[in-house]
Amino acid sequence: MPALPVPYDNALPPGFTLYDDRLADLLPLTPTVFHMLVALSAGPTHGYAIAQEVEELTGGQLVLGPGTLYGSLQRMVASDLIQEAPNPGEDGLHAERRRYYKITGLGSAALRAEAERLARAVDAVRERLG
Amino acid sequence: MSTPPSVDRLRDLYRRLLALYPRDFRQRFETDLLQAFDDRRGEPRFRGTTGGLRLIAFLFRDFMTSVPLARPRADRRGIELMINDVLRDLRFSLHMLVKNPLFTVAAVATLALGIGLNAATFSAVHGILLRPLPGAEDPEELVQVYREWAGIEFGSNSVPHYQDVRDRTDDVFENVAAWFFEPMSIAADGQTERTMGLMVSADFFQTFGVDPVVGRAFIPGVEDEGPGAHPVTVISNGFWQTRFGGDPGVVGTTISINGHAFEIVGVTPADFNGPMTIAEPPLFVPLMMVNVIRPGFDMLSARGSNSMNVIGRMRDGVTVERVGQRMDVVLTQLREEYPASYEDQLGTTLVLQSEAGIHPSFGAAQMGMSTVMMAVVGLLLLLACVNVANLFLARARDRKREMGIRLSLGASRARIVQQLLTESLTFSFVAGLAGLAIANVSVGLLAAFRPPIDGPWTVGVEMDSTVLLFTAAVSLAAGFAFGMAPALQAARTETVSSVKGTGGRVGRSRMSSGLVVAQIALSLILLTSAGLFLRSLQSATRIDPGFDDPANLVMASVDPQLQGYDEAEARAFWDRLLDDVSRMPDVSLVALTSTPPLGLNTSDRGVEIPGYEFAENERSSLHYAYVSEGYVETMGIGLLEGRSFTEADDADAPPVMLINRRFADRFWPGESAVGKAVQTAGTSWTVVGVLETGKYGSLGEDPTEFMYMPNRQRFRSDMTLVARTPADPAGVMQSIRQLVRDMDPDMPVYDVRTMEDHMGIALLPARLGGTVLGIFGLLGLALAAVGIYGVMAYSVSQRKRELGIRVAMGADRRSVVRLVLGEGLRLAVIGTVVGLAASLGAARLVQGLLYDVSAVDPVAFTLVPATLLAVALLAVYVPARRAASVDPIGALKAE
Repeated sequence: MPALPVPYDNALPPGFTLYDDRLADLLPLTPTVFHMLVALSAGPTHGYAIAQEVEELTGGQLVLGPGTLYGSLQRMVASDLIQEAPNPGEDGLHAERRRYYKITGLGSAALRAEAERLARAVDAVRERLG
Repeated sequence: MSTPPSVDRLRDLYRRLLALYPRDFRQRFETDLLQAFDDRRGEPRFRGTTGGLRLIAFLFRDFMTSVPLARPRADRRGIELMINDVLRDLRFSLHMLVKNPLFTVAAVATLALGIGLNAATFSAVHGILLRPLPGAEDPEELVQVYREWAGIEFGSNSVPHYQDVRDRTDDVFENVAAWFFEPMSIAADGQTERTMGLMVSADFFQTFGVDPVVGRAFIPGVEDEGPGAHPVTVISNGFWQTRFGGDPGVVGTTISINGHAFEIVGVTPADFNGPMTIAEPPLFVPLMMVNVIRPGFDMLSARGSNSMNVIGRMRDGVTVERVGQRMDVVLTQLREEYPASYEDQLGTTLVLQSEAGIHPSFGAAQMGMSTVMMAVVGLLLLLACVNVANLFLARARDRKREMGIRLSLGASRARIVQQLLTESLTFSFVAGLAGLAIANVSVGLLAAFRPPIDGPWTVGVEMDSTVLLFTAAVSLAAGFAFGMAPALQAARTETVSSVKGTGGRVGRSRMSSGLVVAQIALSLILLTSAGLFLRSLQSATRIDPGFDDPANLVMASVDPQLQGYDEAEARAFWDRLLDDVSRMPDVSLVALTSTPPLGLNTSDRGVEIPGYEFAENERSSLHYAYVSEGYVETMGIGLLEGRSFTEADDADAPPVMLINRRFADRFWPGESAVGKAVQTAGTSWTVVGVLETGKYGSLGEDPTEFMYMPNRQRFRSDMTLVARTPADPAGVMQSIRQLVRDMDPDMPVYDVRTMEDHMGIALLPARLGGTVLGIFGLLGLALAAVGIYGVMAYSVSQRKRELGIRVAMGADRRSVVRLVLGEGLRLAVIGTVVGLAASLGAARLVQGLLYDVSAVDPVAFTLVPATLLAVALLAVYVPARRAASVDPIGALKAE
């Protein structure tokens, strides 16, 4: 797969080069993964909260079922976009034993790159359609 | 916030479906997945019934997307493709169902009725006959024991006989129990009811392997010792729930049975309803208490008083043959010890509990009945499948073009077969659901059915898992069966050879034509039989029962001795009740009888007539009743000669008797019977009056001799009060109950109803027969209609080209309609003729159950075929119209 040209190299976090193979393999992100990363970009949280956040972000367009949610989380952990985070503890609200996740450096880079890609696409459309 | 229980079942189902995921994924995320499920379930949009359905759809989609997601990348592509295909086929199938509502409704209704009635009938047969006794441990080890006499294969057992059998069969039986139904009046919590309880030997529960859920069972060695010494009872789970709200504290409390206090010692488990599938006795009382429950007769020591059922549990490895040999030895011993009691007993009949059905004396009849029922509904299901297959074939034919296009666009045949199979399985899933709903409703109706006889009788029918599996298997098999034929046919589609449209009659459909004829014939048989029953009901209501206006006669039965009254107290009770009821403003006349007419029981007794010699086999045992003064007047029975009873006909007066005209004509033809003597019950009675002959046992009976004796001359405790009211039967019934309650709050009053309702019992067989056959007949009619429609629609679609040519050549549309109508009607007429011939045979079978209706009843035999032909005409008309609207140019160009 040819590496995507990503011109905004200043958008990448330290440690990632422009044509990083790992990043190229991950792009473009599927809408599900993209929105889940957006949800996680606000800070570590648990699966159900991610699903709710995604639903809100997409105006109810994307409702993640249990299998899709954890299937995606598993794949995202496998490709190093996110990783498990410690459960913040027994603060009552999250007293149940839920798995927490946080976004990784690679995940942030992929999210940023995907956002730029989408932004360019949006810009192009706006320019042509006025 | 409470979640409906169905949601929890859903969670369970969801948990099981997690097995679809790869094992490592499942192990890692199971709790998280269930947690996510619970979170979703808590959301407002997934609550309630519609929410539940939404949740199911949501989870289905989730599975479809996530199952490949959770797999290693390499497998993913193939699975995704397959799932895409399945999803697309499913969507298309649903679309097809919605797009052709007429087709869908006809086919789904046909198959659903077939499946539904199959499941319901299977439930009934299974519940009553086939199911091993519910709640009993290892029911295949249980053997019913009967005494065999000349002409009686399944004779009951007496208490001493049972005890001897029990004590002498230790080598073959682990336990031997005895039981019988006994009327009991039960008072607890200020409510009194009269019902049938079960008297059981102390080892009854051990024999059946039943452990009480609360308290204890009876203990052999305790409750089978000392007559009257252990006033204890085990109550049924149902009685425990309804009367005591399932309170475990009832153990140790007392209830009143027939006026005596009994301590409740245990509660049976919910799945055990006693030794018969058609009754749920509310309580069990030790056999040794029978002299308390039913005083006045020492049943415990009466070797000749046979009224008990005996059942034994065989030891491991013992066969019925060995039990038989042992029983022969026991019988030989007993013959020597008690020659008088055993000289007539021929042997012992043993019946395995699992083969006994309701009662072995019904023998082959009950199994035969259920086999016939199963055969009829099985046949209906088969016809339903054939019909649906025909419908599918007709449609497959219409879709040949679609298939051809698909093939030419590169679809593989396998792919097309897969799609059609998905369609038919989707269809049979929908039909299976609808069928299950129909089965549920009919089983509910069956289970709610209570014969109009007091007692704990039930129809032990419920949908159980066997039935569910049966339904699922039937509907899947049906789906596959009719899915395959069109699928194969469609996949065979060549460059569409159908252009050669064979013209003339459709060769392939000879078999389906034959089936249509068979369907019409079958439904005609069922419908004419139902018609005969209905006609019989109609004429039964016109039969003169020998008394007036049954709607304004109120009956109520009481047995003071059940409540522990002695003779003097019972007499006083009856006198006072008669007096009080006669003073009620809405009652014009009131009287008592021991045996109201047209009930389930009649009593007969041998008579001798001075000067009359009975021939060898002439019937000398005649029906009788004990009645009070005023009975003849209250009932409105015609008095032909002499007088009726008065209060003066009491124990001090000479014994007198009333007889009916049939009685008089038989013994004293041509002369007056008044003043003649009849000897019966150890007394010589003088005839004082002759009454009109009425109906006593059943409305259909031939004129029967009947005699009445005054109850003041022979005391009977259990009597039925009859009161005539010109205006308000319901109010009078209420007042009579109240009067009895005022006299003794614990006295049970039973069988309170109008004579008209009481007579309903006599009409029950005709009513049941008419209803059941009518339902099956109507179903058959619907099937036949769909069948004839399917065949004609198929034929029309196959002959489109030929019909198009006819129209193009100038045939007018009417003649096309006539052509198709004629062909359809030909089938209908053949079916009707065959059916009529078979119906005449069938009518002979049900003749015995009919009142005053000829087996060749003209009304049933013209109305039914006419209706059937009309329905057939309608079913043919739709495809005929379609044939006539064939566009000649389109039809010619199309292929």
